[in-house]
Amino acid sequence: MSEQHIHPEPTTFIRKYVFSTDHKVIAQQFIWMGLIFLLMGGTMAMMIRWQLANPGVPVPILGKLLLHSTGGIVSPYIYTSLFTGHGAIMIFFAITPIMIGGFGNYCIPLEIGARDMVFPTLNMLSFWTMVISCLVLVASLLVPGGTAAAGWTTYPTLSTNIGTPGLGQTLVVIALFLAGLSTVQGAVNYITTVIRLRAPGMGYFDMPLTVWGLWLTAILNALFVPVLGSGLILLSFDRLFGTHFFVTGALVKGGGDPLLFQHLFWIFGHPEVYILILPVWGVVSDLLSFFARKPAFGYKATALSMVVICILSAVVYGHHMYLTTMSPLLGESFMVLTMIISVPAMVLFVNWLRTIWQGSLRLEVPMLFSLGVVFVFGLGGLTGLYLADIPQDLYLHDTYFVVGHFHLTMAAAVFLGSFASIYYWFPKIWGRMFNNTLGKLHFWFSIVPITIVFCTMLLVGYSGMQRRLYNVESYDFLKRLLPLNQLISYTAFTLFTGQIFFVSNFMYSVFRGRKAPDNPWEVGTLEWQIPSPPPHHNFDIVPTVIHGPHEFNNPMVKGKDWLAQDEVIPPETAEAPHVETQLAGE
Amino acid sequence: MSKKMPAAVVALRPRAKEDFSNYLGMVMMLGSWSILFGGIFFAYAGVRMSAPTWPPPGLPKLPLALPAANTVILGLSSWTAQRALGAIRKGRRDEMQALLGATVVLGALFLGLQYVLWTNVRASGLSIDSAGTYGSVFYALTIFHALHVAAGVCGVSYLVVGARFGKWNAAAHAPVRMWTMFWHFVDAVWLVTFVSVFVL
Repeated sequence: MSEQHIHPEPTTFIRKYVFSTDHKVIAQQFIWMGLIFLLMGGTMAMMIRWQLANPGVPVPILGKLLLHSTGGIVSPYIYTSLFTGHGAIMIFFAITPIMIGGFGNYCIPLEIGARDMVFPTLNMLSFWTMVISCLVLVASLLVPGGTAAAGWTTYPTLSTNIGTPGLGQTLVVIALFLAGLSTVQGAVNYITTVIRLRAPGMGYFDMPLTVWGLWLTAILNALFVPVLGSGLILLSFDRLFGTHFFVTGALVKGGGDPLLFQHLFWIFGHPEVYILILPVWGVVSDLLSFFARKPAFGYKATALSMVVICILSAVVYGHHMYLTTMSPLLGESFMVLTMIISVPAMVLFVNWLRTIWQGSLRLEVPMLFSLGVVFVFGLGGLTGLYLADIPQDLYLHDTYFVVGHFHLTMAAAVFLGSFASIYYWFPKIWGRMFNNTLGKLHFWFSIVPITIVFCTMLLVGYSGMQRRLYNVESYDFLKRLLPLNQLISYTAFTLFTGQIFFVSNFMYSVFRGRKAPDNPWEVGTLEWQIPSPPPHHNFDIVPTVIHGPHEFNNPMVKGKDWLAQDEVIPPETAEAPHVETQLAGE
Repeated sequence: MSKKMPAAVVALRPRAKEDFSNYLGMVMMLGSWSILFGGIFFAYAGVRMSAPTWPPPGLPKLPLALPAANTVILGLSSWTAQRALGAIRKGRRDEMQALLGATVVLGALFLGLQYVLWTNVRASGLSIDSAGTYGSVFYALTIFHALHVAAGVCGVSYLVVGARFGKWNAAAHAPVRMWTMFWHFVDAVWLVTFVSVFVL
């Protein structure tokens, strides 16, 4: 598809930075939005942790600012709102914008050698749908009666008018629907872009694994986000017009079924966890290779195991519903299918380890974060096996063990993976270098607390602490867990405070950092072969791809250990006789 | 695209490669959207299978004549829309405009008759918030579908107005194609709704 037009660069501020159709600008808009909501969701988490460590004590600083009505104390209702908001914001308004909206937009066209997305206007529309969604979400915080408090899963009957009357919950349901709409618009764009706009010579197995991850994410999004949409549509009908899809009981003649929503929710919800982690898997698979200066081990196996995981993710949703009086046969099928996922996941994991094995590691900041992802994802993945197992899950369901498990996989891993991506593409996006020391400090202040926090959660969960418990002192058998909860909380505060290294580094470097070279990491993928930041139309000449994305230490190349994807090996070096013998000898 | 396009793609290929990208994107958008409707029909199947009788005792059966007439109307409008696309492909903009105008009229007629249907059903004692899932299914499915028809009517009206100002010709008519696809999609959803809600 080399006949892509070069659109003239917009000149007005509005068209250039606000209603831009340039994928690079939209990516930055998404990243900024995601970071703001990451801060918001993180603040909510800190308030939750404060209540669990010091039950009934007014929250310092934030309590005075945000909780006037209760005198700074996190009341039970505020507590439920907080964990609801924390979950929904982190998933739909922080991770999704940063990894999918931000890096999806940034990396896909640049790494496949395209001048923009295939539908630039749809891309802009996707961002602005997300903005509307965010506004609706923020509005829900301000309406009388408070925001949503039914958990991010919005299970009926908690989320019907009986469980949470008031406008807040309705607005959140609408906000989630709009966020889903934005995601689907983006997904359609990504899928079509990858199919239609790959540079000449770039087959599917020449794409960087980042693009593989993002592309598969987009496919899952297009397939499964609408299922959540249907649940939310029916739920909002229930709330607004008084239909009875999910309302049951003596009040309603021929009422509906609350479990129905759980089915719709988890048909979407299980693929969603892979939607969140797949971009990170892709990025990490690439980064480990780039910074170990070795080709990614088992490139095809990695890509294909991601495909297999996507397929399996569609048929395991029942493991979220073991406790809903499911038939044992069905339950066992879901259990076996869920456990089978560990096979492709293990292929992926072993490939990562094999990629860094005997590599000449460059422990740059993005590499540190990638290694962090490998570490926490390993822990999280292992704990998933406990929860897939029905007899274990009957005990562990809705305990902090679940919280620890999904935070290790889709919070800690995605959190570290997002920062790996931000640091890695920082020079390309903003054309400046970040401060290395602050970056490394940020890493250590992230990886150590995050591991302690979520591993201790596994521990308190195993001891029986319920997932949405308001006060540990409510039950005698949980009172002894208070010190452990305080450990989690204070470590979490350290983690939160440690982000100051990132914020200061980011704010300074985006505007004042040292000018970045075009290819500071010395890697061969297409986006690093053009200036930093790239020009409006990305590529003056659409490149012709000759090599795979991880061409390191090719014996035919002299003087450097990497090879650009569109770089022709000079014939005289290629024909050097001793190289030929060396190859023949192997 | 590095290599030759596969045969299936070539067979589908419209005038330009860009058109094919648009077509592919639209197929995916509608595919995604059909999963949204799929979820709603899944919910309908769920509540209907768990209900002991359908319709529940004491509630009226839904009318069949009016929805059947509406099915014919929408079918007809799909035909005019497709004819309009054929016309613009041959460069006959005036013909396209007339046919799309007919599509808009038929779509509006459909919406009017749906309104009559809602009033009739309401009068027969089935309101949205008092009849359990039976009423919920009828109103939610038809209203949500009607919103899509309304969107389609707006979109096709935009095409009619655009054609008046000389937009679109044989070489460039991507919006005509996409709105036609959307129109067929909405029609297909109605067909499923008609069969599953009114006939069965």
